[in-house]
Amino acid sequence: MIKITVKLIGPLVNLAGFSEKIIELPAETTVEEVLASLPVDPQRPKIITRNGQAVALSEKLRDGDRLAISPIYSGG
Amino acid sequence: MKGWTGHILRINLTNRTHKIETFGQEFAEKWVGGRGLALKMLWDELRPGIDPLGPENKLIIAVGPIAGVPAPNTGKTVVAAKSPLTGGFGDGNLGTRATEHIRKSGYDALIFEGQADKPIYVYIEDDKVQYFPAEDIWGKGTYDTHDYLYKRYGKGVGVLSIGQGGENLNRYAMIRSLEGRAGGRPGIGAVMGSKKLKAIVIKGSKPIPVADPEGMRKLGLDDLRKVGEINKQTGWSIQSTTGVLSWCNEVAALPVHNMRQTHHPDAWKIDGERLNNARVATYGCPNCTMRCGIAIRDHEGHESELDYENVGLLGSDLDIFELDQVGSLNYLCDDYGLDTISAGDTLAFYADAIEQGAIKGDFRFGDAEMAKKLLGQAARREGEVGNLLAEGSLRMARAIGHNSEAYAMQVKGLEISAYNCKFIPGMALAFATCPLGAHHKDSWIITFEIKQSQRDSYGPEKAAKVIELQRIRGGLFEFIVACRFPWIELGWPLDHYAEYFNKVTGLNWSLDDFWKVSDRIYALMKFFWVREFPDWDRTRDYPPMVWFDPSNADKEGPIAGKVLELDKYNQLLDHYYNQRGWDQRGIPTRQTAEALDLKDEIVEVEKYTKLE
Repeated sequence: MIKITVKLIGPLVNLAGFSEKIIELPAETTVEEVLASLPVDPQRPKIITRNGQAVALSEKLRDGDRLAISPIYSGG
Repeated sequence: MKGWTGHILRINLTNRTHKIETFGQEFAEKWVGGRGLALKMLWDELRPGIDPLGPENKLIIAVGPIAGVPAPNTGKTVVAAKSPLTGGFGDGNLGTRATEHIRKSGYDALIFEGQADKPIYVYIEDDKVQYFPAEDIWGKGTYDTHDYLYKRYGKGVGVLSIGQGGENLNRYAMIRSLEGRAGGRPGIGAVMGSKKLKAIVIKGSKPIPVADPEGMRKLGLDDLRKVGEINKQTGWSIQSTTGVLSWCNEVAALPVHNMRQTHHPDAWKIDGERLNNARVATYGCPNCTMRCGIAIRDHEGHESELDYENVGLLGSDLDIFELDQVGSLNYLCDDYGLDTISAGDTLAFYADAIEQGAIKGDFRFGDAEMAKKLLGQAARREGEVGNLLAEGSLRMARAIGHNSEAYAMQVKGLEISAYNCKFIPGMALAFATCPLGAHHKDSWIITFEIKQSQRDSYGPEKAAKVIELQRIRGGLFEFIVACRFPWIELGWPLDHYAEYFNKVTGLNWSLDDFWKVSDRIYALMKFFWVREFPDWDRTRDYPPMVWFDPSNADKEGPIAGKVLELDKYNQLLDHYYNQRGWDQRGIPTRQTAEALDLKDEIVEVEKYTKLE
């Protein structure tokens, strides 16, 4: 098992009901599998980073990773 | 002619006269509206080298063909002049009830020229123009000014005003309207102040000329409803733009400590979640169903409307992580009529220069109370420090010396919006090639860079994306004059805007027709700069040197040890110039300008520099 931190951003916080939490996952869980476990619309564009860097959906997570999931923003 | 009124109201404030001028279909289709109209008028009417704060400068207020028509986010107006902050082309847009009233008064643009001998405000109602003394409101903030004018004319009128910042010629003074709306970052409020024009009040009663009024009305109202539904489904308005703060903190793009740092453990204290929790009201522009303005109570109890740029520059960049204090600084900027971005950057530069030993002073990062005092001094140009701060960071740096210009966070004199590009090459290019100076308005590509490209790439794909976004954001949305948010935030298709434009004008334009107008406007904006600065070279399209300084690299986090590289940045700039058809100085070539139908403009610009 591995532990990762999931950080949600913007309205995803309200949709999922949490802002940030540590979750325990089986080793080799992918980003896509984490995303599928969250109540966020898979059709809406998102940007996902691991430890501040872009990450592909197929990538496997590692113990201690910080996964941030955000909708696309223009920033004002 | 449909879509355009074809009328411009020219007001001379020196002798208090006005006249109505006309333009035809060919001119309308070439420049369309908003930024395009304003630019062309300033290009034709301003002599290069004039004092931006003298009577020769002109203040242009311009709307576009779909402005004021009920359709998604058409409540915007462009304000423009030669910038007193940069010396180049300056404009900005703001949501205001004036948009609809300018069109209903029968105009596509207002030109204010000359200089009144005493403070005045102007009341426009259709063909009628009246001049009133403004002694009662001169010296007052924008909130009191608006209250005064609303009491006199009712809340339904359009009001554009300046605060003490514009009156005292602070170089980053803006024009305000409604609650929290402001536009004209490059000191357009100071131009208004230099003319002693405290406010413009406008009320119109004529129909807006629409080619297919029934079709437009049905389509526009339907689409307003649909945009509102998407907003509800996605929950975008819950945090609106302020959600981006947490994201910038995650990816090391947050401005902290005069942009010397890119993230901070206390950033969560001022993020979109905290802001939403503190919300006391929500504000938006006319014709908007995705309102973005989140108001909170500030430290003194005022209602203060915040968006991301305000929080990033008046909060994290000053190491201030108390939301109510950020609210206070924002309220003061709004009341004084100062640009929150330039104000934040300028204060951060001042604190940094003190920290570096380049200047003596009492201000330290994190000191919200002192920041409030300094904003007041800057707005009123009080004392040596107030006068220095009122000049903006570039002029301050040149006055201070000690190589401080390297960390004055600006491009072309305009301070950088709230994205720290220490290691984001494409966004650095977007800031550096923005035709106003460092504004995020024209192009914003960080998410593209991080998601669809490689963060460390300086490749042609980033130049192409900057240009694509400049065509849309700095072009289309600025010349038809509408807010970009339904498209950029909710994915509302761009095709709809062509549909609105065609229903209003009776034309049959495709998006490609819009891109040609965009490119024409970008070329002429560059010519405007070159005419003012004939020794133009590519270094004017560089971001601040501190972003290239290895000693400024983050010590930890996602971009530890990394900064921009100048030789690679030059390659990226080459890609940008090549793709635009501009030469290696960053000036449109003759062939490019000819293809954009800029024949007369080529003759004019060649008085100052030879085109390649």
